[in-house]
Amino acid sequence: MNVTDLTNAIISGINDGGEAFLEGTLAAVLPIVWLAILGLHLGRPYILDMIDRFTLRLGADLLWLVYIALRDLMIVSGVVMSFMFFFPDVVTGTSLPITGGLAAATLFAVLLIKLMGDPDHDPRLFSLTTWLLGLGALFYFVPYVLGVQAASIATGQLADIANWMVSTSNPTWALGFAYVSIGLLAVMGAIAAIYAIRTGGRPEPAVEPATTPAA
Amino acid sequence: MSPDDIATAIADALAQGGAQWLIASIVAFLPALWTMALVLHLGRPYVLRTLRRCGLRLGADVWWMSYLLTRDAVLLMTFALSWIFFLPAVVANSALPITGSVAALFLLLALAVKIARRVDDDINAYRLATIFLVAGATLYYFPQVFAVEGADQPALQGIATALTSNTNVTVALWLMWISLAGVALVALYLFVHALNSVNRRARAGAPAPTAPIRRSARAA
Repeated sequence: MNVTDLTNAIISGINDGGEAFLEGTLAAVLPIVWLAILGLHLGRPYILDMIDRFTLRLGADLLWLVYIALRDLMIVSGVVMSFMFFFPDVVTGTSLPITGGLAAATLFAVLLIKLMGDPDHDPRLFSLTTWLLGLGALFYFVPYVLGVQAASIATGQLADIANWMVSTSNPTWALGFAYVSIGLLAVMGAIAAIYAIRTGGRPEPAVEPATTPAA
Repeated sequence: MSPDDIATAIADALAQGGAQWLIASIVAFLPALWTMALVLHLGRPYVLRTLRRCGLRLGADVWWMSYLLTRDAVLLMTFALSWIFFLPAVVANSALPITGSVAALFLLLALAVKIARRVDDDINAYRLATIFLVAGATLYYFPQVFAVEGADQPALQGIATALTSNTNVTVALWLMWISLAGVALVALYLFVHALNSVNRRARAGAPAPTAPIRRSARAA
């Protein structure tokens, strides 16, 4: 081995290790982001209870704005951090939950509903977003806990099931799910873009006087 | 191999590897920035819907200001980091989306529309900026997902070779030079527009933009 070989080996180690570290960090942080998304979404009644107790309108407005900004930015962060599930090489090269891409697609669907409707004032849309978040959480947590994490300790039949749920040990299905997720995301992205162009970035006209969110 | 050789190898590796790592980090971060830029731009109806529920002007102002600052700062940062697509050596040697430079040009065009016209008041300007952004994002995402991040997939070999900059260097460099010329033209237009707007304001004897706000604040 000469100096050039050693230099190239170290460079390769730094880059491959750095990439693996980045993907590993994202994979480790995503469960926390998912829990925060669920906690903030399901905690809405608690926030509304607090808003009712405010004696100043300013405090109520600020609490509500901070709450929805946090809640919805978390969903955006979840989509952004889930982008690795749409990269074929990352899916087949890193141990990821096999349906992680579908989970990201459900998050994007929630964002699309929030763009085109008003789940905070329409109970039907709020239920729909809640169901979608529940479905997304199942798509993420089941293969993450019972697959990625359990694969190293499971034995026999359980090990087979666990391995099926990990992208590296089941690349055919993992790639299939990834391509389906990319397709879903592309269709939803196109709908969002057409909606924005058609409306010129303006919401539908208000049909009721401005009020605090309905409980 | 002597200790000096090993020290040299580690020093070279840190310098070259660090440069590659920096580029790789920017490349890895760009999809996140593009997605944020799109979500924030397309999410305008949602922000306005929330805005009109605010009972007090203060809350509404804070909400709108935060949205505008974040949205436009993300756009600017995305363009700034996309500058790697205009570095010939990086384009030729690193695996980048082949149309990354064209995507960056579209992003600059969207920024130019925002500067030249009032996108938040003019529906057609908003539509134009949206079309530029969506076109740029498509030109960025498609080769990024199916070529750069799909190079190891046998089914995607053809696409990967055609749409990755370091495996189709001639086309990548041509696209880069054409886009760079486009960027120069847009930058020139923005420069002239900025000068004209200052001169127009000076001829009209208009006060500095902050003056009326200060006056009314004092009166209040």
